[in-house]
Amino acid sequence: MKRRNFIKQLGGAAALSMVDSLAIPLISGNTQRQITILHTNDTHSHIEPFDADHSRNPNRGGVARRATIIEKIRQENKNTLLLDAGDIFQGTPYFNYFGGELEFKLMSMLKYDVATIGNHDFDNSIEGLYKQLPNAKFDFVSANYDFKNTVLDTHVKPYKVIVKDDIKIGIFGLGIELEGLVGKKMYKETGYLDPIEITQDITKRLKNEENCDLIICLSHLGYYYKNNPTKISDLNLAKATKDIDLIIGGHTHTFLPKPTIVKNLDDKNILVNQVGAYGINLGRIDFYFDENKNKSANGTTILV
Amino acid sequence: MKFINLICLFLLLTACKKTENNLTKITAKNIAIDSTIASSAKIDSIIAPYSRKMIGEMEKVLSYAPYNFTKKSENRQSNLGNLMADMCYEMANAIFKDKTGSEIDFSMFNNGGLRAIISKGNVTQEDAFNLMPFENELVVVQLSGAKIEELVTYFIDSKSAHPLSKEVALHIKKDAYSLQIKGQNFDKNKTYNVLTSDYLQGGGDRMNFFKNPIQLTKIDYKVRDAIIHYFQQTDTIKATIDNRVTL
Repeated sequence: MKRRNFIKQLGGAAALSMVDSLAIPLISGNTQRQITILHTNDTHSHIEPFDADHSRNPNRGGVARRATIIEKIRQENKNTLLLDAGDIFQGTPYFNYFGGELEFKLMSMLKYDVATIGNHDFDNSIEGLYKQLPNAKFDFVSANYDFKNTVLDTHVKPYKVIVKDDIKIGIFGLGIELEGLVGKKMYKETGYLDPIEITQDITKRLKNEENCDLIICLSHLGYYYKNNPTKISDLNLAKATKDIDLIIGGHTHTFLPKPTIVKNLDDKNILVNQVGAYGINLGRIDFYFDENKNKSANGTTILV
Repeated sequence: MKFINLICLFLLLTACKKTENNLTKITAKNIAIDSTIASSAKIDSIIAPYSRKMIGEMEKVLSYAPYNFTKKSENRQSNLGNLMADMCYEMANAIFKDKTGSEIDFSMFNNGGLRAIISKGNVTQEDAFNLMPFENELVVVQLSGAKIEELVTYFIDSKSAHPLSKEVALHIKKDAYSLQIKGQNFDKNKTYNVLTSDYLQGGGDRMNFFKNPIQLTKIDYKVRDAIIHYFQQTDTIKATIDNRVTL
């Protein structure tokens, strides 16, 4: 694998005449880089905070507050990504009246980078979602929904690679099986592909072809199904695959006080996180990279 | 010369290789969004016009209530529950008939699903949202006579005023009951089409008799939409305690 990488790099570099520019990062040597991942899931059109007399979440949530805290974190670390794991739509009359227009506009203002698609995002049918796309200045990723025969064809990519401070971050999306959960006339010809098989393909691509330093899965599969433990879920996906560093989940509205550490197929620790619903929480995970040139990759300390 | 270049390139690239980004540390912290965080004025200013327009929509008057509709139980009925069961029946029956050629025999919902009262006066769009904030859809289940008996036993045992539509006449006696549906005596050998929500059909509120029906017909109609459409076409909404359940 090292050899393959080397040959590929040689091939690529030979085409470049400005070999010197490649040498610049070497001088900087021993630097630490920090990538901050912020995330939400299942915000369900909750634009405003819950009322003070709400029985479960009094005074919690609110997009305008989320904006403040995100801005503050961005000021501390400009290498911040903001992600959402789906079910942006449905839950307040804002959706019933404006069809998701405000949700997407606000997420664009908050500078979301990438989101995946939840089952409720089909609640105004696939056309309803398509119609709102011009309001979304961020990308949607889904690797296991096949939109080939739908209006969303070419509008949703399996994954997106973002480079921050020379760190390559690959982000791919996974959606829950729609049959039985969403009316067929809503999702139309959207195909569903096996999440584990797709993940194996995508992670291979992100790792070996895109050379990503960090691989994140935005999943709307659900955290875990106690009563149906073999059903595909984030915990099961984590165990059955490799090379993912972080699964950001949704669907089950699971509030994790801290991310769950799961051993993947390679016996490596990876993180699964989910922050409840309705924007009452914001997830934050910081990845620190060392560029020590004398160091071979050894363990990663996870402090959660 | 060429050879030296190649060596340099090789050294450079192997050096590059060693500067691979190593993930050394991960920290995590989930942050509560609450009133200790100030709202962004910029975001608030974007929301405001939408909020105003929505409030305007919510205040739209759809109908009129001559008295309060509440969950106050009398003879195991409430006027709000009767309204709910009857209006959903009326709105769904036409669609069901179109779709299948058959009629719905009666409707049943759950008392807990009546999420808000309707106060005397103008009935607004907001009343419909408050009464039914969920996105549940209406479904029709074809039930065997045995399942109808289960349904009645559930109703009697629950001691709760679960909404039943006016096609039902259930007389609950001390250790027995008599049941008529659409004016006909209940026949255990017949099947009946019952209107309910997809939530209850899936076993919500432990209405397990709705699970695994002979036939399940989705009519693709949200409960709330049925309520809104009924309000729109009804000048003054009415419902009283009647003989659908007698004790």
